[in-house]
Formats: sequence, structure tokens, C-alpha cells
Amino acid sequence: MGLSRREFLKATAAAAAFAAAGTALLKPEVSEAAEDGIKWGKAPCRFCGTGCGVLVGVKNGKIVATKGDPAAPVNRGLNCIKGYFLSKILYGKDRLTTPLIRKGNKMVEASWDEAMTLIASKFKDAIATHGPDSVAMYGSGQWTVFEGYAASKLFKGGIGTNNIEPNARLCMASAVTGFMTTFASDEPMGCYDDLDLGDTYFLWGANMAECHPVLFSRLIDNRLKNPRVKIIDFGTRRTRTSQMADTYIKFNPQTDLALLNAIAHVIVEEKLYDDKFIKNHVVFKKGKTNIGYGLEDKFKFADDPKPMTFDEYREFLKTYTPEYAAKLSGVPAATIVEMARLYADKSRKVNSLWTMGFNQHSRGTWVNNLVYNVHLLTGKICKPGENPMSLTGQPSACGTAREVGTFTHRLPADMVVTNPEHRAKAEKIWGIPAGTIPAKPTYNATEMFRALDRGDIKVVWIQVTNPFQSLPNLNRYRKGARKGDGRFVVVSDMYPTKSTEVADVILPSASWVEKEGVFGNAERRTQQWYKQVDPPGQAKNDLWQTIELAKRLGHGNLFPYKYVEKEMWEEYRKFNEGQGKDLAPYEAYTKARGLRWPVINGRETLYRYAEGHDPYVKAGEGIKFYKNKNDGGKAVIWARPYEPAAEAPDKSYPFWLCTGRVLEHWHTGTMTGRVPELKRAYPSAVCEMHPDDAKRLGIKNLQKVKISSRRGTIILPVELNGRGKAEKGNVFVAFFDETKLINELCIDAYCPISGEPDYKKCAVKVEKA
Amino acid sequence: MRYYHLNNLNQHTGISRRRFLKDGMLVPLALAVAGGSISTLFLRRADARGFYLRPPGAVEETRFLAACVKCGKCAQACPYGSIKMAGGEAGIGIGTPHIVTREVPCHLCPDIPCAKTCPSGALDRKLNDIEKIRMGTAVIIDRENCLSLRGLRCEVCYRQCPLIDKAITIEPRHNTRTGVHSIMEPVIHADKCVGCGICENACVRDKPVIRVLAAIPGQKDYYEF
Repeated sequence: MGLSRREFLKATAAAAAFAAAGTALLKPEVSEAAEDGIKWGKAPCRFCGTGCGVLVGVKNGKIVATKGDPAAPVNRGLNCIKGYFLSKILYGKDRLTTPLIRKGNKMVEASWDEAMTLIASKFKDAIATHGPDSVAMYGSGQWTVFEGYAASKLFKGGIGTNNIEPNARLCMASAVTGFMTTFASDEPMGCYDDLDLGDTYFLWGANMAECHPVLFSRLIDNRLKNPRVKIIDFGTRRTRTSQMADTYIKFNPQTDLALLNAIAHVIVEEKLYDDKFIKNHVVFKKGKTNIGYGLEDKFKFADDPKPMTFDEYREFLKTYTPEYAAKLSGVPAATIVEMARLYADKSRKVNSLWTMGFNQHSRGTWVNNLVYNVHLLTGKICKPGENPMSLTGQPSACGTAREVGTFTHRLPADMVVTNPEHRAKAEKIWGIPAGTIPAKPTYNATEMFRALDRGDIKVVWIQVTNPFQSLPNLNRYRKGARKGDGRFVVVSDMYPTKSTEVADVILPSASWVEKEGVFGNAERRTQQWYKQVDPPGQAKNDLWQTIELAKRLGHGNLFPYKYVEKEMWEEYRKFNEGQGKDLAPYEAYTKARGLRWPVINGRETLYRYAEGHDPYVKAGEGIKFYKNKNDGGKAVIWARPYEPAAEAPDKSYPFWLCTGRVLEHWHTGTMTGRVPELKRAYPSAVCEMHPDDAKRLGIKNLQKVKISSRRGTIILPVELNGRGKAEKGNVFVAFFDETKLINELCIDAYCPISGEPDYKKCAVKVEKA
Repeated sequence: MRYYHLNNLNQHTGISRRRFLKDGMLVPLALAVAGGSISTLFLRRADARGFYLRPPGAVEETRFLAACVKCGKCAQACPYGSIKMAGGEAGIGIGTPHIVTREVPCHLCPDIPCAKTCPSGALDRKLNDIEKIRMGTAVIIDRENCLSLRGLRCEVCYRQCPLIDKAITIEPRHNTRTGVHSIMEPVIHADKCVGCGICENACVRDKPVIRVLAAIPGQKDYYEF
């Protein structure tokens, strides 16, 4: 390790002082004078994309405490209840501590050498017999930057396949394609400071109160201080967020497309738009329509963007009168007009915030485009307190999956494998022969598991994620993985999960502060931490595991590092330099409580594309979307129509099913499920239903019901009056409960542009069980 | 409104226990039960102050103790196993049904099967609106240790409350410690709280900071002779 612990502790104290200077005066609680022999180190939280800072207290090689880091600008010492119990996730009784190899129906303990030799031989055999596209890596937005980078380098630059995907495809991919199509660069222009600085917040398909708890308390505080602040929650389910919002506007699932176009319609018709901003910073485009739903295997889609004029765009919007959108959405036309005027109100600083309601959408890219349209029409973008902000669900969906580019089609720093210059740049930095990186993307996440089911992929290695609980249409993919016939599934995890159930080899992984790492949060903040305790038993870092495979496949030369993390960082940084995505030297992150990129000359950037904030924008330019070179540094307003969902309720399956999260549990519950306090606080999944629907079906509160879709059936108790209140004709089930796999019911339809499945909409029926 | 006066109850059970132990015929049984109930004492099966959370529809405690025939039918009818029969530590209440919230709270079945099966009138069989029952009232007894009051985003008691937004609401206020966050304070409304104990069960603290106590009688905001 390059820095000693002593140096680190000194450095963090200095950084804390630095961070405090910029914000409120907060005393850093990190000091070398250890209290009761406890040493404190910094780390970002392991859970959501908020990226709260925590202090980790270590005594005798074990974590004895974690607490919110008062010096962390994101959370200033606070945590949500998951973060409060953070250290407990490492100490569940059933931690995996030794590699396990399947022998018949049993998993038998093995040495690392045996396990890695077996895995390497399976990789070699598959590559020799079926080619490099028969092996795959399925990773995660919880991968550290290093783990993602190593996997991408090995698969794209070593093995020579683009068969690498992160679970972020199930979560953030539509946000990525939204950013890429509108701004030609991924990730938001604004940052969390907007939560303090704005006065009007539109929430779309985001239950921020439960899914981004600390950010929500910041938003609510803004309203406490400023009576002008308005929070408007657009949703299909009445949540804790709706409860605290000033206005809750319920709409029928999928009709957000029509609503946003209607809002744009009103803004254009009433001439509420910012003419100057549009002339200087915007171009108009349209793409293909009737684009399909990705339901059939090997579905392919390529958009065909065509420029259009403002007048043509105006013409396109003509369909979306408030009355038309009202009919589709159930939102009164007058409300739509009112919201459009609020969006355009020149005296207001307007922000839009969204999460999975937009992204997990069969038109996810479109709906992301449409919210940008509204901000671009009104010029409410790239200004402090006025921005569209895509919130993220995983701690490094941004830092790893998106910035490192661990998708099949991506390379680091917004580059793609389809571009020969991008490939050449990557090959140069990686020091590999030209032509090594294949030019064609292969499979998105859903297609990857379809390929495993079909047998086109033989060997898949899954790290830091739990697809056999989190994929949609789960029954197909769970069965597919166990079809035999040469299929071989490796799962690296810290606990037994629904995915280790189907594995041929299970590798025990180090987690969080049992290894050194870097995460990137939703506001472009890159946060580093050191290893602070040893993993239990023989558990090892996923980074080590990937490099070990590389060595055994003859690609060890890709990883010639001594201090792996630091040297890998400096190499990775070369991709970002000069691209508007500059990262600081590793050293800087060891000291700071995270820095928001682009970081140039040690200075972070709060607002991208904005003069005075973003060093890439020259004096006098004001706002410049400089990444979109093809459109002269302008952003794109897209004409994207309303199109129906892949599956809508009908006579046989009369309800919409929406899935999501609760505050107490995180994703598939493999970590929070090991915390007894959280488990007791929210023990098992329920089916939220509207009381009127229940009455009609003769179902009483807490009664067990059978919920079925065309793909699966589960039995759950009904909750009529809980924290989330389903609208009529809708039911909602959280997906954390591994004993109730709601994803068996979900449809594996995805957005043709982003490849992200729609977990928010499919048709189900509900009967008394 | 039905309520228990703590002092009376203590006195009552105190006398009962003495009488109970004096009764030579029951001494061997009492010893056996006492031995078996040490662990349950730690689980606070009985409140240290003598409050027992009775099943929905229980009549006033003194009458309840007189009426209950300890048949256990209510416990059998409970689909969640929430209703336990009291051990020897309950004194005269030995064998009476009660709910240990930290183990299994009352889940407020809409059809109230426990009360419906009561043969003795200890539980009101005519009860038909679960929201009207008053088993007790939740109170945040330890504000210092409540994570929500310290600004953390917990509020588990609120979100798990079956009468969410009625019995417990959230009242946000500015967090001066961070300057940019709000403290989401769970506020209990005694006139709506049924005392089911779900909040106490769900509290993430080792010692729950929210507890169900004897329902407190409503007092008017003007003085009455």
C-alpha cells in the first residue's frame, strides 16, 4: 500500500478540515488519538447511489462501529437506517468463507487453486470450442472502479469479447442513453447542492423518501427554510414521498410520455419557452417510432435520428394537447397546464428528479429525453439550483458501470466499442494489439441470460450481484442456468443468494472495507477508501479473483501492477483526461471526502457545461454542451411520442404490477436481510392494493392472495393501508424478499435503446389464496 | 375510554401475588412457573410497571381479570401467534392472555377473531371496528436514543404503523446540527393509536425507544371541577 495508515489518518483530518471550510464548520471526528483503541477511517456507504460518507471504527481487526461522517458533504454525519447498521452486513452468520465447487447436488469446499483452475479450464474449453463470445462476465454497479476496470480490460482487451454487462443495465441504462442522446455525455450537469438552492422540484417515478432517504431530508429542509419551495410528485403509487410532497399527481402507468409532451405542448403554445436559450443551445431531432419491446430473443434495434426544425417539433407536439394527455393519463387537463406553467415560471428555479419509474420503462430513453426537453425549452439547466437530476440506485452505478463503461457496448469515458477511434485509444492505453477489442456489442443483460438459456453462452461469471433474483421473467433464466449441457455458472458473493443456488462454483468475496476501493455516486462524486479489515476465512477481493483468472488464461500481462489500485487508477485516468471527465490523481481521493468530476488542477466541478464552473466552457460562452460535437455543442430536443406499454392489463390479467424498494432493505436483501434489526423492522414482502379493488374481490387487509402473471405466481399477504398505497387497478410488491420472488411475474420487455427492462409495468391477476 | 391506573394495578397484583404465594396448595406450581419464567422476564413478558397488553376488545383490567376464564381460545384464534398466556409472574393473572409486542405484536385482523371466540366477555365479542380498539398507547419513552430524533432517516415505527398518517405522523423540523437536513419526527396521536405494538416490535434499537403503555385517559384543555 502506498500510504501508511498514519499518513492516511493525517490526510483525512486535513481533508475534513478542507471540506468543512467549504460548508458549515464541522469538526472532523477522525483523529489519530484513538478512543478506546478504535481507529477511524473513511468510506462511502455500501448501499444506494446517494454516496453518504461513513466513518469506520476498527478495533482488534474487527469493525466495532460505523457512523455518519460529519465531514462528508453529502450527508454531514447522517445516515439512513440501513447506513446506521452498515457494519453488520459484514458479519452475518452465513458469510461465505471458502470456495465451493458443485459435485452433483452438493457444494463441496475447495481450495482457491482448485476453484480457479476449474474456472480457467472451463473458460479455455468454451473459448477454444465455441469462441470468445461463449464466455461472459456479469458484474455490478456495486463493483469498485478497480473491479469493473479489471473485468472490462480482461474481457474486452484480453479475451476479446464484449460479453460484459453490469446489473446497472437493469437500473440506470435508460438514464445513460438519455444523457447520451441528449447531451452526448453521460451523467448529470447538476449536483446535490441543487437540493438546497432550488425552489421547485418535480419528482417523476421516484420514491425519494424511502430510496434516497438522506437526500430527501435535505430537500424537505429546503422547504422548511423557504416557504416558496414546492415539491410535486408525479407517480403511479402514493408513497411516503407523495405524502410529504405539496402536490401528488397520479397518472396511469406509461402515460408519463404523454404528460411530458403535453407539458412541452403548453410551454410551446403559450410561448413560455426561452427563445434565446433554444437558439443558442438546442437542436431538434426525431427518431424511429413503433420501436418494439425486446420481447423476442436476439432483438436488435438501431435508431435513425433525423434533424427537425422548431416548427416541425411544434407540429409534433400538436397531438399532445392537455386534453389528449388527460384522457390517457387520468391527470386533469387543467393540472397539466398548471404544471407546465410552473415548469416555465421565470421566477422559479426548477429541478426534476427521477429514478426507476423513468429508467425501468420500455420507453426509458424516451422519457429521459422528454424531461430534458422541458428543461431545454425553458432554459432551466446548468445553473445552480436549476437542473434535471437522475438519481441512482447503486453506490457505483455511475463510478464503475457508467464511467468505466462495463456495458457490452462501452469503453471508459463515454467511449463505445463501435467507434474505431475509441477502440484504438483503449488499445493504446491498455498496450494491446490493435484490433483486439471487438467492434460489435453482443448482449445486454437480459439478452446475456437469454443466451445462457439458449446455450450460446456457456460460461458466465457473476460478481457482486444477484441476477437470479433480480432479472425479470425470472423462471426462464433460473431454469436456463441449470440446463446443463456445458453451461457453467460462477458466482462470487459474500453470502449464499438465489444466484449462488444455481452456481457451479461459488467464490467467497471480500466486501466493502475488506478491500480498497473507489465508488462514484449520482452527483459525479468519486470517493475512495482503504482496506480497513481482513475479509473472513479465505474470502478474497473480486479484483484479485479477476486478475487471477487473467493470469490463468495467459492475460496476466494486462495487470502488471505492484500497488494495483493506485497504478490502475493512474492508467484509467488517461481515458478521462481532456474529455470533460477528468479525474484527479489517486492521492487526492485518499484525502478528500470525494471530488466531483471533472477535476482540473485539483478543483472539482459543481455544474457541467456552465461558464465559471466547468473549465471546459470558455469565457463568454455561458452554457456550452461541448461534448455534443456533432451538433455544434448543442443539446438535443427529441420528438418522442407516447407508445403503450409492452403488456397492459386486460380481462384475464386486470391489474398493473409495479415493483420497487422499501427503506429498510436494499435491492435483493442479501445484505440488509443479514441485519436482524432491519429484518425485524420489515420482515417480508406484501402486496399493496387499493381498498376498493380489495373490497370488490372480497379480500380483507392482510389476507393472503395469489398474484399471477403470464410468467409466474406467488402468494403474499395484501396490505391495503400501508406505507405505499396502490392506486385503483394497480398492485405493488417490493423485490427484496428472497422467499417471494416477485420478479418471476415481471415481463422481460426492455427499452429498445437502453436495453433496460420494465419492472414497473406488467399485467397480473389477484385472487384469494 | 378504558384505561389502567398504574398504581392501582401494581397494588392489585401485589396483593394478589402475596395471596397467591400464601396459598399452600399452589406453592409447588408457583415454583415451577417461576423457574420457567426467568427468561420470559427478560423478554419483558410483563411490563415492569405491571402493564399487560391485552388482546383487542379486552374490558377494563380489573373486570378483565375477573371475567377471563383462561381458556386460551383467543390465543388459538390468533393467526399470528401474538397472544400468549401469562406465566406465574402475572400473579392472579396467571394464564390470562396478553401480547408481548417485542415477540409478536397484534396485527389487527379486520375480523378480530380473538375477541369473537371469547366465551366469557373478557374480550368484547361485539367489537367490529379494529381501529376503535384501545389496547394501549404508543409513546416514545426514550427521545435521547430515538434515531429519527437524532436526524437519521429511520422512522421505522411510522412506516410500519398500520394506522400510518393517523396514529403516527411525521413532523419535519430543521436539523441545526447539519444545517441542511430535516429531522423527521414521528409524532403519536393517542386518539388514533390502538396500541397494537407493531411500532415497538419494529423499533431497531436493542431497547425499543417507542413502547406501548397503558392508554392514558383523554384530558380536556380546559379545567373542570
